[in-house]
This record gives sequence, C-alpha cells and structure tokens, in this order.
Amino acid sequence: MNYENPELLDRLAAEYVLGTLRGQARRRVERLCEVNVAARAALHRWENDFMPLSRSLKPIKPSARVWTEVQRRTIGASGSTMRVSAGWRQWRFAAAAAFLALGLIVGLLVREQTVPLQTVAMLGTDATHPLWHIERAKELKALSINVVGPVQLAADKSYELWALPRGGKPVSLGLLPRSGKLERTLTDPQRVAFLAADKIAVSVEPAGGSKTGAPTGPVVIVSPVAAVG
Amino acid sequence: MSRGIQTGSGLAVEPDNAELETLLAGCAAKDAAALESLYTRVAPILLAVLMRMLRRRELAEDVLQDVFVKVWQQAGQYDHIRGRPLAWLVSIARYRAIDMQRASRPTVVLTEAEQALEPTMRVAGPADAVENQGMGSALLRCLEEIAAPQRRCLVLAYAEGLSHGEIARSVGEPLGTVKSWVRRSLMSLRRCIES
Repeated sequence: MNYENPELLDRLAAEYVLGTLRGQARRRVERLCEVNVAARAALHRWENDFMPLSRSLKPIKPSARVWTEVQRRTIGASGSTMRVSAGWRQWRFAAAAAFLALGLIVGLLVREQTVPLQTVAMLGTDATHPLWHIERAKELKALSINVVGPVQLAADKSYELWALPRGGKPVSLGLLPRSGKLERTLTDPQRVAFLAADKIAVSVEPAGGSKTGAPTGPVVIVSPVAAVG
Repeated sequence: MSRGIQTGSGLAVEPDNAELETLLAGCAAKDAAALESLYTRVAPILLAVLMRMLRRRELAEDVLQDVFVKVWQQAGQYDHIRGRPLAWLVSIARYRAIDMQRASRPTVVLTEAEQALEPTMRVAGPADAVENQGMGSALLRCLEEIAAPQRRCLVLAYAEGLSHGEIARSVGEPLGTVKSWVRRSLMSLRRCIES
C-alpha cells in the first residue's frame, strides 16, 4: 500500500478509530503511526472528531473494587503504600510470579480427582516455594488450609485471606495460619462470596485481621481460584 | 490502601482539558494523588464507553482497570501537541475494548444494540451545545447530514464497537454494501467537518 497517499492514510485512520479495521490491518496501522507523522496526525484528528459520541453517554460510576485494583497495580507497585518494610518488595515480585505459576500447579493438582479434598489454590512466593495449600471438599462447607512452607511476618501483623467476587467487594475468609493445618468452616456469606469469586487474595493486616471488613494493608498475593469438578 | 474515592452521583462534570493535562503530567511523575483525581474525573466517562461496547459490567470494569494501569505507565507519552487529553483517554479505552471483543462478546446482542441507539444519536439540544462545544457540535451536525441507514452503521461501529460483518447482520444489508457505506460516510463526514 502507498502510505504516502494522504487520502488513503486518512481512510485507514478513520476506520481504525471507528473500529471497523480489525486484526492484522489494525496492527499495521499501529506500526505505521509509530513512524509516520501524517498517519498519527490523521488518527488524532479522527479521535478528536468522534469524541462527542463518547461524551453523549451518561457516565457510570465504577464499583469500588476497580479503584482498589488500580491502586494495587499502580501506586502499590511503585512502593508508596508500602507498610510492611521487610520482605514486602520480594513479596510483591513473588506474588506476580506466583500468579503466573499458580495456574500450572493448580491445574496439576486438581486432576487428582480421587482425593476427597480438591485444591482451590496453592499460595506462595513462587511455584517452588508454596506457603499455604488451600483445599475444599466438593460440597463447600469449609476450607482446609495447610501451611506447607516457612511463613514469616512481624508479630503485630497477620495474613488475611479474601475472596474477590466478580463485581463485588472482597469478603474476608479469615486469617491464614503461620503453621500447622486449619479447617475453617465458612459462614453463608463467605460461601456465597467464595462461589462468586474467580480470585482469592492475601493481604497484610494488623494482628487479628482487618478492623474495617475490607483489606487495609498491601495485597501480597492474588491467585485465580481453581474450578472444582 | 482500599480507601474509597468519591465520585458523587457518578455524573462527572466535563473535565477541563488543561486540568486533565496537569493530572496526566502528575501521573507521568508518579504522583499518586494525580492518578486518583484523574480516576475520579474520567473513570465514569470511560466506563460508560466500555459498557456500551462490551455490555458486561465485570468485563468493562476489568478493561477500565487495565486502562488506568496503562495510563499510569504511559502518561509520559501523552503528546501535548495533539490537545484533547480526554480523546486520548477514551481512545485507549476503546481500542482495548475492540481488542477484547473478539474473544469475549456474545454475538446475540444486536437487538439491544439497536434499542440503545437513540440516546447516542440524539441531536444536539441546548444542554449538548454546552457539553459538545466546537468540534462536538460539528460532528453532530455532520452526522445529521448523512442518510439514516449509513449513519446507523457509523454509530454501530463507533459506539457499539461492531465489526463490518456484525453491522451487516444488524442492519440486514450485504457486507459489501455496509463496507462501502462506511467508507463513503467517513469521507462525507471529513468533508463536512472541515467545511
């Protein structure tokens, strides 16, 4: 294609902004705009021209969880909300790694369908350093939480487990133990939140857990919840 | 960490371009308060755009999250020469939604899309004239000059995020016809806006 042709550039830019340009053609325009000033200018012009259509929609207030997540992924990640000094930086890095690795571990463990308990998640610093193995029976009445690695945290802090229901606020699933094994019976609200959750998270809280009912400290692990078959 | 932010009724006041540019500069300098202010002002506008395109709230909110993470990371790349920071922000959201749509959107949505068409296509009244000054009223005026079926194709594409094929099914016209309608409508729109 002759990208020196201003009419062609304008047409490509228009269809890019409109959204009718798809797939590889879309990627080509993006690459073109990186190097071609005229293409970029055409794109910006159409973006500006079409803006009033977007502004004619009535604004919709996002759920609170969106901002919480944005904060966690931005301001949290730059360290300005750091509250647990020792090890938090490593935790944060590890949480990201764990997020990627967990799917694999969880997938492997869930295949063992013959055991009465099924893995919900393996939470840890990375794939080779799991800290908590969380299981449930097929009939969800309780979570079985097994400490499988060395849990380190200041005495005046606790790790708290949260269900993150889609579109809803985090619901506490109680504190995570530092050692041993714990069977935690779930209340009805916890069960509902857990069933609606596609992720669970761990936050650092004052000893005894969050006083507000929502995570107040840094969220150090976010993990997908394995489907139970 | 989870301190909520107040967005009042959810109806954001039209953000001022200079103010948005200041907030973007703040984000580029990794100022957390700037991000929060930007979110308060712009997130409800972007969510409306995303809901319209993706139709599922949880998906739209997931994309909204990604948009603000991207803005935080790339605020330094905002080009002041282009003006219109809101158009930049809306575009980030729309393009992300377009890329998301292929995988995630249910296909049986066209009746709803058509029903929802009217509010977007309302002709500028006094309130809109304030809201859509300058280029805005030009766009609305020029859209009005395009014949209704062709105009509907543009709106389905822009606001609903439909592809050529989806538009063709929605309006019951052959794909080739829709493609040529879109192309010609865009050309007349460009001529009209510049006149």
